[in-house]
Amino acid sequence: MTNSNDNKKSLKSFYWLWAILTALGIAVSLYAPGYLMPESMSQTMHLSVLTMVVFSVAAAPVAAGVYAAALYILRNWTHKGDSVPAAGPAFRESGKVVITWTLTSVLLTVFLLIWGLGALAADSAGSTANPLVVKVVGQQWVWSFEYQGQNGTTVMSNDLYLPKGREVLFHVTSLDVTHGFWAPQMGTQVDANDETITDLHVTPNKLGTFDVRCTQFCGLNHAFMVTQGHVLTPSAFTTWLNAQPARS
Amino acid sequence: MTTTLEHKAPVIKHEGGGLARHQNFLTAMIGGVAGAFIAWAISHHFFAQDVRTTSDAVAVLTGCGWIVGFWLGIGALNAPLAWLIGSDQTRKDQLYYAGEDQGTKRYWKYCTDHKVVGVQYIVMTMVLLGAGGILAMAIRTELIVPGNHFVDQQVYNGFIAVHGMLMILALIVAVAGPWGNFVVPIMCGAKDMAFPRLNALSLWTLVGAAGLLLTTLAVGSLTMGWVVLAPITDQAGVGMDFFALAILVFTVSTTVAGVNTICTVFTMRTKGMTLERLPIMVWGAIIAAALGLYAFPYFSLVEALQILDRTFSTSFFIGNAGGTGWLQANLFWLMGHPEVYVILIPAVAAVFEIAAVMARKPVFSYRTAVAGMVGLAGLSILVWAHHMFTTGWAPTLGGPFMVTTELISIPTGLFFLVLIGTLWRGNIWMKLPTVWVFGFIANFIIAGITGIYLSDIPIDNQLHGTMFVTAHFHYVFVGSVLFGAIGALAFWYPKVTGRYLDEKLGRISFWLSFIGVQVTFLAMFISGLRGMPRRYASYAFIFEHTNFISTMGAYMIMAGMLVLMGAVIYCWNHGEPSGSNPWHANSLEWLVSTPPPLENFDVLPVVTEDPYNFGKELVRS
Ligand code: HEM
Ligand SMILES: [Cu+2]
Ligand SMILES: [Cu+2]
Repeated sequence: MTNSNDNKKSLKSFYWLWAILTALGIAVSLYAPGYLMPESMSQTMHLSVLTMVVFSVAAAPVAAGVYAAALYILRNWTHKGDSVPAAGPAFRESGKVVITWTLTSVLLTVFLLIWGLGALAADSAGSTANPLVVKVVGQQWVWSFEYQGQNGTTVMSNDLYLPKGREVLFHVTSLDVTHGFWAPQMGTQVDANDETITDLHVTPNKLGTFDVRCTQFCGLNHAFMVTQGHVLTPSAFTTWLNAQPARS
Repeated sequence: MTTTLEHKAPVIKHEGGGLARHQNFLTAMIGGVAGAFIAWAISHHFFAQDVRTTSDAVAVLTGCGWIVGFWLGIGALNAPLAWLIGSDQTRKDQLYYAGEDQGTKRYWKYCTDHKVVGVQYIVMTMVLLGAGGILAMAIRTELIVPGNHFVDQQVYNGFIAVHGMLMILALIVAVAGPWGNFVVPIMCGAKDMAFPRLNALSLWTLVGAAGLLLTTLAVGSLTMGWVVLAPITDQAGVGMDFFALAILVFTVSTTVAGVNTICTVFTMRTKGMTLERLPIMVWGAIIAAALGLYAFPYFSLVEALQILDRTFSTSFFIGNAGGTGWLQANLFWLMGHPEVYVILIPAVAAVFEIAAVMARKPVFSYRTAVAGMVGLAGLSILVWAHHMFTTGWAPTLGGPFMVTTELISIPTGLFFLVLIGTLWRGNIWMKLPTVWVFGFIANFIIAGITGIYLSDIPIDNQLHGTMFVTAHFHYVFVGSVLFGAIGALAFWYPKVTGRYLDEKLGRISFWLSFIGVQVTFLAMFISGLRGMPRRYASYAFIFEHTNFISTMGAYMIMAGMLVLMGAVIYCWNHGEPSGSNPWHANSLEWLVSTPPPLENFDVLPVVTEDPYNFGKELVRS
């Protein structure tokens, strides 16, 4: 076994590859979440999609760097022929590289954390004093929604109706096993637990229909525990509510 | 040089030992079935039939009967029982149990030789992956088009649960089982594991647990998912009891194996084998074992309390009787998250090992590699509630758990540094193991980045419980852990069999699997992003195309795995002979002959440096 050279190569093509892959990654990151995720019908969903974009853009250079390095290694340093390759350069440590790498990943992580905690806070804040309260009840395998009607009556519905522009506070519960109350276009979900009420709030900002799906495995017909939601103008919502038969 | 491919020593008839000399897998099965039957008959006869919990109690006792009968039948209890009545094993007995002069028969026995246990683990992993793989194909076939076509929902739900559990068990042992047993002791310069009998116990207990798990398919299945949490467990039939018991038994197996690995490395290293000279694979094995010793007791606890709830009507987890399902969810994930790193770390360590040998260079920044693994293991015990962000349990803890979870990307990033640093400027030998290492790198970056998305609560509120999560952890399990495990198989296969795993078949398998993984799971990310929840037996038409693509990709992976399996079986006896050190590596497992002799070393070697100085070869082949 002879000692090989130290295998140093010009890194120009590596940097090019990295830059190109990063640009590609960023292009996809900017475009894909909005295209692939359901239509946004609330600020919460908007924030969710935006966070996907931000995280993807931040991750693009990292992933691109790893792919570029792997491809560059494959291109430059694979051993040709059937013989046993000679020993490579025996470098073991590089404090500089380790510190640079670690600091970079710490900075990236801190950035993602600040963004994430900020988004979380933005989403939790802003509760108005006068939300519309809707009780969400899951049971195997249907959803039902209860509203406060006129004069203290209760109105029930199997479709979810919401007014546009007003904050909605869901009190979510279950009559049997745990279900997951999720409205994809609203960008949020919470479990429906037996004997417990969990809160969820959202402000629809777009008219139209949306989906409600169960995200917590709940037995035989879990896949069919779906229903429709509708965002109406405030006046249409009031008309709908008043037209419903009241339950005592 | 010459290689001995088989032990050709004459079979010596052993005197004494009596019946115990005839115990094997068959007698274990007979013992297990007999034990189960006796336990069933007795409990069925004596329990009041009008009590709701009766069928559960009968099921639990039947399962206990199975496992005790199985242990008795395989001979796991011979030595302790002999010791109890005052007749200790002789050296001859010990050599018998180590499989001396028994040819291939010893692979069917309670054999204490760590190399035999290693081979048994290879087979066991392949059986578990095969069974789980068949279920995966059934699941993907059902999902090929919207609507229910091939199996009804009940059966489908059972398939998902058993698939998940089988695969988790398979991957927990996929690297640590075969290579933690076969090569780690030799790497340390030990003649065997610290506790050879416990080693056999861990393997055969795993077989017993797998039997219980497969039984669930026969007794009404496990229709509630492998993450079986109250209150839905209350609606589960006796399949649930067998499942809970299977986990209890399984945790016995991992605990025993973990203690054994740690003790072996800390007490049995040969002269000069300091901790810093250990091959990096050994570090992976002990860090994962230690993490398992922390994590799996939660698993036993969850299942033990669950069994009590079901058989004695206690109410640890039953909400309307004073318990809480959230307690169970917490205990489960206190196990569940560390467990994914018990799975991941040995695979990462194996990949480091292969990268160093194949690039003919030292592991780059060895200490960073160790610190990364330790850091990951340490952080992993602080992140469990990220699985509970959307449950409504302790909403204000969301922020702190988001912080701990995202910190995990720092040690994970160090793995990439070590890997790229190790390969950088190397003379890379593009053999089959190396190919899988590059596959690992490509997939693990996707697995890691999608994990960071999910750790962010505003995103998780949207994507939790969707196919996006499923695609994320399949990139981890299939794309990363399984690829690493196959790399390890290709790497150490010549040490086990004296033959190469066929390069050509191996590469066909690689490309089928690699492309298959991208097709299946990239499409699955899209299903999830577009809003398809997990564990759906049927789905809306908007998810049609991506599901069809996922199913096609899954068939490609299956084709790849079948080719690999064919190669593993064919090459065992017909592969190209490899000599004892095919990769010209310096760690001790390559120093001994192939296959290694019964107690590995005639004279224990003295180690003077770590195994990564490829400039001077210590070992000739
Ligand atoms: C970069 C590191 C990782 C991060 C940040 C991460 C993050 C997450 C998060 C936040 C979830 C919960 C998502 C949800 O249910 O809504 C999750 C789920 C999951 N992860 Fe990871 N993960 C990482 C690596 C891994 C590894 C290494 C494995 C396995 C070896 C793994 C396996 C899983 C599994 C099985 C689930 C789903 C559990 C279930 O709900 O059934 N993850 N991951
Ligand atoms: Cu449900
Ligand atoms: Cu986790």
